[in-house]
This record gives sequence, C-alpha cells and structure tokens, in this order.
Amino acid sequence: MSGRRVGAISKRLLQQFRRDHRTLGLLFGAPLVILALLGYLLRGGGDVPRMGVVNLDGGGLGNVVASALESSKTVSASPMKEADAEARLRTGDIAGYVLLPSDFSAKAQQSRLIAPEVHLEGSQPGLSQSILQAVSESFAALAGQAGGVRFAPRVTFLYGGLNFDTLDYFGAAFIGLVVFFLVFVITAVAFLRERGQGTLERLMASPLRRAEIVLGYMLGFTVLALVQSAEVLAFSLLVLHVHNVGNVALIFGLEALMAIAAVNLGIFLSMFARTEFQAVQFIPLVIVPQMLLAGIIFPVSTEPGPLQALSHVLPLTYAVEGLRNIMIKGADLSWSSLQLDFGVVLGFCVLVILAGATTLRRRIA
Amino acid sequence: MATETYAVDVVGVVKRFGKQSALDGVSLRVRRGEVYGLLGPNGAGKTTLIRSLVGLVTPENGTVTVLGHRMPQLEVLAHVGYMTQQAALYPDLSAEENVHFFGAISGRVDGVREALEFVDLWDRRKSVVSTLSGGMRTRCSLACALVHKPDLLLLDEPTVGVDPQLRVQLWDGFRKMAAGGTSIVVSSHVMDEAERCDRLGLIRFGKLLAEGTVAEIKAKAGVERLEDAFLKLSEVSEP
Repeated sequence: MSGRRVGAISKRLLQQFRRDHRTLGLLFGAPLVILALLGYLLRGGGDVPRMGVVNLDGGGLGNVVASALESSKTVSASPMKEADAEARLRTGDIAGYVLLPSDFSAKAQQSRLIAPEVHLEGSQPGLSQSILQAVSESFAALAGQAGGVRFAPRVTFLYGGLNFDTLDYFGAAFIGLVVFFLVFVITAVAFLRERGQGTLERLMASPLRRAEIVLGYMLGFTVLALVQSAEVLAFSLLVLHVHNVGNVALIFGLEALMAIAAVNLGIFLSMFARTEFQAVQFIPLVIVPQMLLAGIIFPVSTEPGPLQALSHVLPLTYAVEGLRNIMIKGADLSWSSLQLDFGVVLGFCVLVILAGATTLRRRIA
Repeated sequence: MATETYAVDVVGVVKRFGKQSALDGVSLRVRRGEVYGLLGPNGAGKTTLIRSLVGLVTPENGTVTVLGHRMPQLEVLAHVGYMTQQAALYPDLSAEENVHFFGAISGRVDGVREALEFVDLWDRRKSVVSTLSGGMRTRCSLACALVHKPDLLLLDEPTVGVDPQLRVQLWDGFRKMAAGGTSIVVSSHVMDEAERCDRLGLIRFGKLLAEGTVAEIKAKAGVERLEDAFLKLSEVSEP
C-alpha cells in the first residue's frame, strides 16, 4: 500500500471534476434545489383539503359542530346544500362533506349517540384522513358540552373504500412512473453510446434522414417499452392486486403514450450531454422534481399556490392523474378529465418527437 | 452518375474551428477510378477535408461537389462509402450484423458476403465485435464502408493497426476496385502506402502544399524519396 499511489488517484479524480463544471454544479447545487423544493412543498403554507358541511339539524348541536369544523385548521370547511356538496364531491372540487341530519340534536340528546354521515371522495387517502380527523375533533368539542355521548360516524366512499390503502393510491401512479423513468434513462444512454462509439457519425454520412433516425429509435425502443409496460401492469394487478376498477386497455394505452414520450425525451435530452455520465445526471434534474410535483406523493391540490401552477405545467401530473382516474375512479374516454389527461400526454409526445428531430439536425450539422 | 469526369471537386474550401483554421482555401479534384492519397501529419486537416466531402462539415467558404452533386446532399451519400478513423461499429452486434446494418441504411444488402470476404472476415462473421481484435475491427469497419458498392470510397487512415500482410492484400483490393471504376480518397501518413496512390495531395496547416503523381512530387522537391519530398515541401510553407 503506497500513500503516494492512492493520493495520485484521488488527485486525478479531483482534477477531472475541476474541468467538469456541470458535474460540480450538480454535486453542490442539486441537493439544495431538491431540499428547498421539498421544504417549500411541506412548509410553504399549502392549501388544506376542502370539505363541505351540510347542516340540516333543527336543534342547536348542529351549529356547534358546523362552526367547530369551519374554524378547523386541518381542513377548509364551508357550509353548503346537500345537492351542491354531492355535485362538488363528484367533480373532485371537495374531498368530502359531513351531513348532519335533521334529527341530529334530538338523537344526540335521546340516545347519547352522534351519528353524522361522512361522505368522502376517497381517491386520495391523505385527504380522507384529514377530513376524518377534523370531523372527530369537531365532535370532541361537542362531547365536552353534551357529556357522555358516543361518536359513530357513518362513512361512505365515492371511490375506493375502507380497504383502499396507500399502495392502491401510489400503485396507480407508479405503474406509469416506473416505465417512464426506466425507458428515459435507457434511451438517453443508448443514444449517447451511438455518439461515443462513432456510429452516429457514420449514420450522418449515410442517406438516412434525421427524422428516420429518430423514428427508428422510437419504434425500436417502443417495442421494448411496451413489453415492459405490459409486464409492470400485469405484476401490479395480478400479483400485488393494486385496486383497479377501470379498463385495462386504457391503462395500457396511457402507459404506452408515456413510454413513447420517454423515448423521445431521452433522445432529446441526450443531445445536451456529452457522456453517459452526464445523461445519468438528468435524473436528479429532470426526474426528482417531477416526482415531487406531479402529485405522485403529495396531492397537487394541497401544494402551495405557486407550486400548484408549476405542477399543472408538468406533463407527468396529467399522466399520473389519468392513471388514477382510470384505476381508482373507473374513468373512461367519455370523461372530460380523462380526455384532458390523454390530450396533454399525447401533446407532450408530439412535442418531444419534434424537439428530438430538430435538435438532432442542429447538433450534427 | 458515371458521366462526370471528377468524383470529387473541391474549390477554395475554408473551415475554422474557433480561431483554429482547419482548412484554409483547399482546392482539389479526384478523377473517376483514381486512388487519391491525402498525405499529411496529425492535425493537418485531412479528416476535416474528408468530413466535408460527406457534408458533416459545412465549409464557411468554397464549394464541395461529390459525384456531380453540390454538397450537402443526402441522396448522393447512398453512392459514397465512408470509413472513419476510429472503427465505428456496434460492439454488441456480430461482424455480419454490423455490415448488414450499414448496407441496409444505404439501401443495399446484397454485398455483405463480398465485403466480409474482401477484408478476410467471412470466417469470423458470427463473432460479436467486442470480442474482435483491434485490427479485425478496423477491417470490419472497412467492410461496412464498402458493403453498398459505392462509387466513391473515403478512407480515413484505413490500415492503422492492420498487419503488413493484410495491408498488402487490402491495397490490392483497393487497386482492383479502382480498376472497376470506384474512386478512392485515402488519408495516410504511411509513405509506402502513398506510393500506391495514383495521385497525392500534400496537406499541412489546412493548405494543399503540393499535388501530383509520386514522380511529380519527388521531381518538384528534387529528392529521391517521397518522405524527404514531404519534409522538404512542408518546410517551405511553415507559417
């Protein structure tokens, strides 16, 4: 063991990085950006889940509960009519509502039992939890006044249900995500290898058109990506039993569109990297922010306002929402929300295909 | 396409990379069925010149005409074979698969066997490229450049790493192709290879210093050996 020889290796490494400004920037810049984003996301005073309070109670207890809910910090509750609340629940405008029936006060005093109806949208377990928590807190105030009452809410779910767990929620998003990221990385690296081994130079000196290269790549990798999509989907549904009430062909269709987009994003972004090493660096830059902001883990509706705007620009947000619409809500193409999701993902596909073909021409010629 | 006198017609080509001048007003013509040798030291501009012939380099000034077409032009590239300095191959494919691929993108796959036999790799055609030796890869790369039976073959230092016996064999092949009407532009810094060219262009600092047959160049420098001629002619124009 020679200290000098070991030192030579360490010194050479540092010398290399001194010339690679991009890697240095990534090494010291990316962690701060990602942490700052995460910090803002979680502490930036994001919106709380919205819910409705339908108070039909003739007695006074209903008002106590309603005002307790409306002053809650866990949720943003507002009074509304039953029909209105039901409609807004279906559009996803509110995550749930509590209904206090007309005999609410009477029953509470007679049978010492508080039984409000809690209607939840159910597709996002985190929001459902917040609402249930807020409701039970509001009744704690009531129990203090009335004394010795039992609290037994009747909970109904529009989507999902009691057995709907975190995997069901994340699973829908990850089916698309896994395919998107892996296909992206593999394509970007393969395209850079073409450049590095000199074969791209040869392709450029052949009668091949730029568009033919991009299309050829797209078709080749799409075959791989589709097989992978089918495998991931089958494993999720048949082995993991991820909750699905939608059409499997639609899920596969959306997955396939994401895969095609990923192939072309890979080709496009590889134009901005010289080495495979630099291509891998796109993961923290391109992929991690999307993971945080596309609503995969944190619902977009509870993000701080400016981040919501950013989320609504990311195509992945729509892909994730589309997959959840199909799998959790059973959406089909007659739903306008799913039409939007498909439309955005399709538009993104076209955009990256064009971007890839255009950039390829510029970089080579 | 066989009617033009010149396979390559380069007029006053200028190309700079930043402040570095790679080609500084080069003009040269390669006749049909001629083997034209580009001779010059490393960094003289040989590769840039060859790349400009296939449209990979866009000159700032001057014109490049290949097989009667002003470059850049995509269709004419189907009749041009280009062998890069580095053996540009797909390491995960076999020798035959590589040659077949490059034939397919140029529109002809009927010459795969002939090309592999030309470089003496037919017996190794099933070998994956990553398992081949450096010399074999060079040969495979050459096969990829001529699989589509081009009218113009551009070879950027094709015999680097090839053993002397096979080098002689390859040159016999080049001469045979030229006799069959193929024009060949070959860059080299090996003098005995230069002796086998019909005409030579001496290139240095992006300029064509001298052009002619081997005998003409020797006479111009007034020396016996081509190597001396090259050194002498280079000295004259040192900037």
